[in-house]
Amino acid sequence: MSMKLGKWKPGKIALLATVAVSYLFLYLPVVHIGLASFARNSNFPYPPKWSLDIMARLFSNSLYQTALGNSLIIGIFAALLSTALAGLATIGLMRHAGRRAPLYLALFIAPLFVAEVLLGISSLIFNGLFLGLQGNMISAILANTVHCFSYALLIIATQLYRYDWRLDDAAMVFGASPARTFFEVTLPLIWPGLLGAFIVTFIMAFNNLEISFYLLGATPTLPSAAWGALRYGVKPELYALATCVNLIVFALLAIMFVLMRTGLLTFGHRPERERSAV
Amino acid sequence: MAYIHLDGVSKQYGSVWAVDRVNMAIEKHEFVSLLGPSGSGKTTLLRIIAGLERPTTGRVLIDGEDVTELPPHKRGVAMVFQEFLLFPHRTVYENLAFPLRMLKLPKGEIEARVEWVVGILALRGLEKRYPNQLSGGQQQRVALGRGLVGRPKVLLLDEPLANLDRELRQEMEVEIRKHQTDLGIPFIYVTHNQEEALSMSDRIAVVRGGRIEDFASRTDIYDRPKTAFIAQFVGRSNRFTGTAATAGGTISLSGDGVRIETATRPGIADGERVAAYVKNEKVRLRPASAGGAGAANTLAATVRYVILRGAYAEYVLGWSGGELVASRPRSEAEFTEGAEVVACWDAADVDLFPAPEDGR
Repeated sequence: MSMKLGKWKPGKIALLATVAVSYLFLYLPVVHIGLASFARNSNFPYPPKWSLDIMARLFSNSLYQTALGNSLIIGIFAALLSTALAGLATIGLMRHAGRRAPLYLALFIAPLFVAEVLLGISSLIFNGLFLGLQGNMISAILANTVHCFSYALLIIATQLYRYDWRLDDAAMVFGASPARTFFEVTLPLIWPGLLGAFIVTFIMAFNNLEISFYLLGATPTLPSAAWGALRYGVKPELYALATCVNLIVFALLAIMFVLMRTGLLTFGHRPERERSAV
Repeated sequence: MAYIHLDGVSKQYGSVWAVDRVNMAIEKHEFVSLLGPSGSGKTTLLRIIAGLERPTTGRVLIDGEDVTELPPHKRGVAMVFQEFLLFPHRTVYENLAFPLRMLKLPKGEIEARVEWVVGILALRGLEKRYPNQLSGGQQQRVALGRGLVGRPKVLLLDEPLANLDRELRQEMEVEIRKHQTDLGIPFIYVTHNQEEALSMSDRIAVVRGGRIEDFASRTDIYDRPKTAFIAQFVGRSNRFTGTAATAGGTISLSGDGVRIETATRPGIADGERVAAYVKNEKVRLRPASAGGAGAANTLAATVRYVILRGAYAEYVLGWSGGELVASRPRSEAEFTEGAEVVACWDAADVDLFPAPEDGR
């Protein structure tokens, strides 16, 4: 760890300072809310007087419990649906679309460019007017799936791009039916990519406010409950809520990171050295 | 009835015929090579036999059964790929057991067969490794083992040695041929490497532009090329072009200070543009002082370079018409660079064809 003084050139110092300031700017609010939600003096927790009061208040509030349940349901089902559909769509694009692949791809990722507010409103109007559907959990899941699908497609496509489809040829020549080939060879090699898409789309749908807001009306989700609560002033429960959501997201990302670092999973990323022979 | 039949097989991609009306009959104990330059359609033809491509027209028959409409997993064939394509998430043992599991063999039988293939391919001790922990040669052996373990009706090999270095390649050539003879199943071997085709095959099909240029024994392909393309593509030859003149049972072409003479053959008319090929090893050398430079099939030349190839030496000669290469055994008298020599060959060693239109 001996560092020579000569290494500290002005340029390097400026770079490190810029990086440090950038990270502080990004993460100080998160840290502040985190401290506040575990402190009795939540308005200005410096130094914090540790307490679990606010957390306890959050978890005893039935509104937030219902909201958490709804958000989890929307997150899990929207993520499952969009990951499955995007996986199939990617395989179709790569294997069977031929020259029209760019057109299909453009159509698949178009929802990315539609504001989620508009998606929510137009889904509400369309479902009500033409399908006679009330806004409910199912239509919220479906509407979330629309934009989650586009993200999942991009995530899965960048990772399946590295998959060698000739492995499927090899499996079939050695006697595996198309379905068997998928479960024996394709899926074991691409499922980390699918899991990555699932986690990201889960976080997106879980955190989504706009779509749920229009399609669910009075049914609370965590973001809509938080937004609703805001109108009556920032209450300490909101700190606790934000911290909980941040912890869930952080935990998921940490799991992905650890799995990648230990080489247990690659999420589609395969270092060059692994591919060449030792 | 031959064991494998290709009956008017064609494959069209867009407006291009990658495979064009191919007819072949392959016997059960044969080692057949499909030899051709890259893009000639030989791999497409192999993939059609495997069922990985559907022919646009024509039929494929294996062991008397029309398999044209059968998907690959129902054909009972196996394949060795150029890129090996071992399953990266499976160990060597699991890769070798894969075809057997698909055949739903009992566990004991699977173990016995994998054991057998591990033995004949010298893979012992590697069973628990993953493909990325193997050298190129070891991966190749596993790929070959996976091809043999299920005792397929036919083993298809798509340039399996192209990614190996020369020494390993020559070792594997011997080994592949040995396994083919031992197992008595047909091997169809795609390569652009004439040495590989010549070293292992019973018969060679020379593929060009999606068509079979000739399908004959390896000695016929090498010694008696049927077309100018084969004469140029198989073996190393010297090429002369000129106008044919027929007279009394011989045909000759003159130009650049050499007169080439050989027996007349059908299909070549008087006054036609022709190309003559003489294989490098058919060119003999003697010192210029020995004389006789004016005779037919003889030319005076100067040694420009000598390339040592171990058992034989390649002499690159300069003469009035350009360059000429002669391969001679090292046991013969050697010439040094700059030596004046007379090069000659037998009339019977001249292969003569109408000159291709493209003037090559």
